[in-house]
Amino acid sequence: MMDAAADRRGGTRRTARVVQYVAIALALVWSLAPVYWMLATSFKTELEAARLAPTPWPLRPTLDNYRGLFGGSLPFLAFFVNTVVTCLATAIVAVIIATPAAYALSRARFRLRAATGYAMLVFRMLPLVVLLAPLYLLLLNARLLDTHTGLVVGFATFGLPFAVWMLKSFVDAVPIEVEEAARVDGYRRWQILFRVVVPLILPGLLTTGTFVFMEAWNNLIYPLTFVTTLEKQTLPAALVLTFTGQFKTDWGGMMAAATLTTLPLMIAFFAVQRSMVRGLTSGAVAGA
Amino acid sequence: MAAITLRDIEKRYDDTLVLRDCNLDIADREFVVLVGPSGSGKTTLLRIIAGLERTSGGEILFDGARVNDVDVGDRDIAMVFQNYGLYPHMSVYDNMAFGLRRRKLAPADIDDRVRRTARMLAIESLLARRPRQLSGGQRQRVALGRAIVRDPAVFLLDEPLSNLDAHLRVQMRAEILKVHRAVTATAVYVTHDQVEALTMGDRIVVMNAGRIHQVGTPAELYDAPVDRFVASFIGTPAMGFIDCERRANGDRAELATSSARITLGEVQAQALSCANAGNVTVGIRPECLSVASERDAAAADVAVRGTVQVVEMLGAEHYVHVATEGGSLTARVPRHQRLRVDETVTFVASSRDVHLFDRETGRALR
Repeated sequence: MMDAAADRRGGTRRTARVVQYVAIALALVWSLAPVYWMLATSFKTELEAARLAPTPWPLRPTLDNYRGLFGGSLPFLAFFVNTVVTCLATAIVAVIIATPAAYALSRARFRLRAATGYAMLVFRMLPLVVLLAPLYLLLLNARLLDTHTGLVVGFATFGLPFAVWMLKSFVDAVPIEVEEAARVDGYRRWQILFRVVVPLILPGLLTTGTFVFMEAWNNLIYPLTFVTTLEKQTLPAALVLTFTGQFKTDWGGMMAAATLTTLPLMIAFFAVQRSMVRGLTSGAVAGA
Repeated sequence: MAAITLRDIEKRYDDTLVLRDCNLDIADREFVVLVGPSGSGKTTLLRIIAGLERTSGGEILFDGARVNDVDVGDRDIAMVFQNYGLYPHMSVYDNMAFGLRRRKLAPADIDDRVRRTARMLAIESLLARRPRQLSGGQRQRVALGRAIVRDPAVFLLDEPLSNLDAHLRVQMRAEILKVHRAVTATAVYVTHDQVEALTMGDRIVVMNAGRIHQVGTPAELYDAPVDRFVASFIGTPAMGFIDCERRANGDRAELATSSARITLGEVQAQALSCANAGNVTVGIRPECLSVASERDAAAADVAVRGTVQVVEMLGAEHYVHVATEGGSLTARVPRHQRLRVDETVTFVASSRDVHLFDRETGRALR
C-alpha cells in the first residue's frame, strides 16, 4: 500500500520534471533560433543565403561576409565607431545627470517628491515614437539634427527616467547611518554624495550605464529620424539602410553585420547581469 | 567639553507628538544615559542633540549658547551609531581619519591621532582592514575610535552595544567607561537595557511615550522611583504591584487585600494621608520578599499570600512569580527553598521596602 503510494508520488515528480525540461527547451529554442539563424546565415555564401529552400546550416562555410564588411565600399567601421561613441556618451551623460537626481529622490524630503518620481516613470512608459516629433523640433531648433550630439540628447532623454529609478534603488540600499556619520564628521550633502554614496554605488553606476548603453545601441528609430548622412549613422540604422536594396537583399552581409552588432551587447550584458538583477529587484526583499 | 541644556523640547511628525516637555541639564563631562522602552523617544532626543533631527519646539543649548540652527557638522559632536555607520569602502584608518581630513588637519597630526587612538582601543593591527573584514566587537571599537579621535565636546552613543552578544556587551561596557574617563567629553548614551543604564550612567534619564519621567542617579531611581512606570522599568526582575484598600487598625495605618496585609511606617502613613489617595498600589521589589510560615507572617509588617505561577531557575536562586488578590509579585528565593507551581505560599517584607503609588495617576506617594 505504502509502496504503491510512494511509486505514484515518484511518478508524479518525474512527470513534473519532464514537463519542466520540455518547457525550458521550448523557451530556449524560441529565443535562440533567431540568433542561430543569424550566425548560420553570416557564414553562408551569397547564393546559399538567398535560396528559397533554406539550408539549416552553412553547406560551405565562408568568412566572405565578414571580410566584405571591412573591405567593401560600406564604411562599416565608421558605423561601429559612431555607435560606440554615441552610446558611450549617452551612458555617461545619463549616469552623471541621474546620480544627483536619484540621490535627491531617495534622500531629500520635499513636496511632490513621490509625484516627481512617478511622473518620471509615466514618462518612461510612453512609446519611443511619441517623443519623436517634439524631439525632432527641439533638435532642429538647437541645430543638432544630423549630429552625434543630437543623437546623444535623444538617447539620453529616453534613457534618463529609467536610469534615475535604477540608481535610486542602489542609493536606497546605502545605510542612512553611513551618511549621517559623514554629516557628523562635518561633510556637506554634495560632499557626502561624491565621497561616500558614489563609491558605494559604483556597481550600480556601471550597471545603469550599461543598461542605458544597451538601450541606446538597440535604438533604431532615433538615428533613422535624426541622422541623414549615411557616414554618421549607427549600426542598427545602417543595417536597414545599406543591406536591403530595391532588387536584392544581401542576407549574408546583413547577418554578419548583425552578429558584430549584437556581440558587444552580449558581452556588456553578461558582464553586468548579476548586479542588473540586483538593481532591478533591490528593496523587494527585506535586507536586500 | 560642553554642558548641554534642553528646554521644553518638543518633536512632532505631522500630527504625532513624539517628544514633549523634555527638560534636561547635563553637566560638563557627565555620562548621562537615556533609557526607556522602544518608542519612548530616547533616540529621537539624542538625534535632536546631535542635530540630525530638528526640534518642533524648545531650545538646545551647548554651554549656554543656542545651537538649534547650528548644523550637525558644526556642533563639535561625535556619534556612535547602533549599526556602527562605518564607511564600508574605506579602511579602518581612513574611517578614523575621514572626519579629521574635513577639519584640514596636517597629515602628520592626523596620522598621530589615529595611531594613538587605535593603540588605546587595541585596534592598531586592524588599521588596513575594511569594516566587512572585522567582527562585531572590532567594528564597535572602530566606531568608538572614529568618534574619540576627533576629541569632540559631546560624545553621543545610540544603543552601541545592542548588536553584540551578551559576553562582549559586558566587556564593551567597561571599555566605553574607560574611554569616557580618558577623554574630556560629555557623553549621552541611549539604551533600552536598564542594566546598561544602571551600570554606566552617572545619571539616568528614564523616558516613556515621549516624556521624561525621572532623572537621577542609579540609586535614586532604584530606591525612590517617582512613578509606577519608573518603578517597574528599573530593576530586574521588575517590581511587583498589588492594588490595596486603606484600612484603619487602631492608630496604625494599614493597607490590605483579602490576601495581603501591609502595615505602613510613620513616613509612609504620613505620605498616604497627605496625598489623600483612596486607591493605592503597593510596590515591592523581588529581593525584599522572603518566604515565611503563617506564624512568622502574623508578626511581620508586610505579609502576602499567593499562588505560585512560574518558577524560573537562575543558578544560585529562583525567581518565583506569584499571583495574589490585587496583583502579582515576583520574589527572589534562594535555591534551597523549593517551591512548586500552584503551591500557596506566604511572603513577608519590611514596611520600609514598600513603595506606594496613587492608583489613578501612578505617582509615588511620599
